[in-house]
Amino acid sequence: MEKGATLKSKGKEGSFKGKDDSSIKSKYGRKVRINFEGPLEPKTLSSPKYGGKDDTPFPKGYSSKGGKGDKIANGGKTPAKEPQPLELKIELELPENVKCISMMDCEAASILQGIQDQMVILSKDPELKLPVPFDKGLQYAKRGVHYTNPQSVRKVLETLTKHGVSNSELCVIANVGPESVDEVFSLVPSLKAKRSKLSEPLKGVLSELAKLKESANSASQLEDESQQGGKSTQGGKFT
Amino acid sequence: MLQRAITVRLMENFATRKATKDLGYFLAVTTLESIGEGRVRQHTGDVLFPVVFSCITFKLFRGDILEGVVHKVLKHGVFLRCGPVENIYLSCLKMPDYKYVTGENPVFLNDKLSKIEKDVAIRFIVIGTKWLEVEREFQALVSLEGDYLGPI
Repeated sequence: MEKGATLKSKGKEGSFKGKDDSSIKSKYGRKVRINFEGPLEPKTLSSPKYGGKDDTPFPKGYSSKGGKGDKIANGGKTPAKEPQPLELKIELELPENVKCISMMDCEAASILQGIQDQMVILSKDPELKLPVPFDKGLQYAKRGVHYTNPQSVRKVLETLTKHGVSNSELCVIANVGPESVDEVFSLVPSLKAKRSKLSEPLKGVLSELAKLKESANSASQLEDESQQGGKSTQGGKFT
Repeated sequence: MLQRAITVRLMENFATRKATKDLGYFLAVTTLESIGEGRVRQHTGDVLFPVVFSCITFKLFRGDILEGVVHKVLKHGVFLRCGPVENIYLSCLKMPDYKYVTGENPVFLNDKLSKIEKDVAIRFIVIGTKWLEVEREFQALVSLEGDYLGPI
């Protein structure tokens, strides 16, 4: 059976003009339009490869002096290029027709867990199946869950958007669960440029996140204690 | 009835496809937005429906910070798994200050006696990714160069 898809999109998500429109959202979530014909992968791609430095295209034959046919520049006398900092640039790495909205691990975990819970009911239908990576994806999203309430986490982090922090950067901050502002700037180097503006608001955000983490931890502690308490009363009955 | 058949077929295709180069590993369909008009394919008699849906996928990006678990220790590096990605390579060159210690249970050890061995969770940064068309999976190259990276 022939299968294939063309992913073409223009404009923002939610505008479905014409057959070829599609919008994709989220590293952890996508909106996909699939016409099952033609090749699946779009034709123009810039795929990151091992050791790829495709953030700054440095076309062949480009002379740093700007002159035509300047062989010296090509011969290796070019000034030592500073290694590109390893920054997260999701928008640059995806092909043009794919739009991505990142999702935090805790958000993904709650959605995937919900689906898994429903699968218990749905699995009675033998035709419905989940993709193979589902379990591993759910496991991974859950292991990173420091917070029980993704919505409050999102609210807290959203205050940073007015300082120019992108959605994918917010997600990295949420997933890492940093304990200090230094940790944030170290792990998200793209924010370093705005360090002076961001330090204060970040401190506030981190302390809010710490409170959310604490309440999640104390909630799980209470759960454990009540389970243990239950056991001891059962023990009491036997004596 | 038709909608159900389309939904079932969508999920089947989604599950079979497993992953794509652009979107990453397919995890789950979340909503079905719309089903367009069917078009009959002349030679086979199949009907094609354009379907718009939302789904959750998992993809590694260069510069991303993630956590993985070691599943194989070799002389020149370790292999990690992270989520659905099984083959993530962390070279010894990208493990600053860690030295290989041979033995029945080989480990990488640093001066502060921090160990990198099987089943240890490590926070890393992604240097690059590779899509393997035949196996329909990703591989990644990662590093511990940077503050706050390493065993958790």
